Amino acid sequence: MLEIVDLTVAYGPVVALERVSFRVAEGSVMAVLGANGAGKTTLVRTISGLVRPRSGSIRFDQKEISRLAPEAIARLGIGHVPEGRGVLAELTVEENLRLGGLWRTDRADRGTALSEAYELFRPLAERRHLPAFTLSGGERQMLSIARALSARPRVLLLDEPSLGLASLVLIQIMARIKQLVQQRQLTVVLIEQNARSALSVADDAVVLSLGRVVAHDQARRLASEEGLRHAYLGF
Amino acid sequence: MQRFVVLTLNGLTEGSIYAAMALALVMIWRATRVVNFAQGAMAMFTTYLALFSLERGAPYWLAFVIALLCGFVLGAVVERVLVRPVESAPPLNVVILTLGLLLVLEALAPMLFGGQIRSFPSAFSIVGIRLGSLQVPFSSFDLFTLVSVLVLMALLLLLFQRTDLGLRMRAAAFNAEVSRLLGIRVGRMLTLGWALASLVGALAGLLIAPSLLLYPTYMDQVLVFGFTGAILGGLDSPPGAVIGGLSMGFALSYVGGYFGSDLETVGALVILIAVLMVRPRGLLAWRAQRVV
Repeated sequence: MLEIVDLTVAYGPVVALERVSFRVAEGSVMAVLGANGAGKTTLVRTISGLVRPRSGSIRFDQKEISRLAPEAIARLGIGHVPEGRGVLAELTVEENLRLGGLWRTDRADRGTALSEAYELFRPLAERRHLPAFTLSGGERQMLSIARALSARPRVLLLDEPSLGLASLVLIQIMARIKQLVQQRQLTVVLIEQNARSALSVADDAVVLSLGRVVAHDQARRLASEEGLRHAYLGF
Repeated sequence: MQRFVVLTLNGLTEGSIYAAMALALVMIWRATRVVNFAQGAMAMFTTYLALFSLERGAPYWLAFVIALLCGFVLGAVVERVLVRPVESAPPLNVVILTLGLLLVLEALAPMLFGGQIRSFPSAFSIVGIRLGSLQVPFSSFDLFTLVSVLVLMALLLLLFQRTDLGLRMRAAAFNAEVSRLLGIRVGRMLTLGWALASLVGALAGLLIAPSLLLYPTYMDQVLVFGFTGAILGGLDSPPGAVIGGLSMGFALSYVGGYFGSDLETVGALVILIAVLMVRPRGLLAWRAQRVV
């Protein structure tokens, strides 16, 4: 459903991604692994339209999206939880959540999405009328993910959800996302530096190194390849 | 004591106009991080358009609405045509650009409408209201000024705090990138923000024109006082802008009344310097502080 073909991205003379290609099947979790500077964040930012590729294409349901504006891509059903979370600190928890689905015209369903979010992430319900800057790091991560989910995306791009999170909270969040993958055929692209935890939830994985794909396989096979693990994944 | 009451009422009326100007500046600052130095000139221009309509036989209220609508459109056009192309340039570029727009508008006005000082009608009597045998130094038009500014502010508050559109506009102003990821058409929101701010400015221009008289630079001092009010309030806070603008009205009225009207402008500067020394981030800075 999401297909990336020969994608090359450069910031001026610096090439961040070079001829990256892979395909993500509907209802699966794709982990994108690699060290700092491998191009992982650039990859998701390009998919969601924040960065323009130099060449190559990104297709979503056979439709070319690499030249669309970020807001148009979001409206196609691609949700992006940015690195550093992107919670709007000045707004309340509820305002943040409402923003997620505001572009959708089905008002009744927006309400349903809101109550689902609170059900999924209970700590948010208690703080719904507080400004988001009062939340802890883990709660902000929940809010950011819940906000993306309330748009009912078909694809969820998660950039380093483990960053600064207690591992227990992370396990809970990932279990919920996995549930949505199974129940609603949600497709997830999961960026992670922590390869071990990412491979445990992913179906497939690509490994990036200095902007190139150096491995692309089923997650459990990658996890068992010792040479690759040592060279790129660090465990 | 009687003098104090007169000056206070006068300060309240003028302060509401400075508050509107300050609010317009703050709305644009929050949306696009630009101090719009052309705000006053834009309001001058729309007030001339109102006078132009009046002279061609339009009734006062039609001219009033025309000026507000032209303000709305002018703000949108300025954002789309002038500000948007230099969006990613260093912030100083946009500031220079608004200064350029100020000069262009002030040069254009005398060419189109004539450069001489003109009187501008007011909607209501400018003679003080009579309460029994007592004539208070507060006219129907002063009341109208105060009420229309308050109504406009209340409408804006409702828009921003209670509607989906307002929520989108606030989100776009706080964080454009995240907003775009949430499907918000940030460009439209910023255009709308400029348009609304410019409408607020246009109202200020219409309300102060009867007392200042209309000439191409008549809004310059209003801009300076409104800008000072906005700084007092912290530049980032709409309630701060309103409080700052009102404070300017009172302070200038007292300075003018007790020390002579020549000192009004100096008074404004002294207030600005004093506040910036004591509270560099504005009177309402405590509101802006947040835990990270």
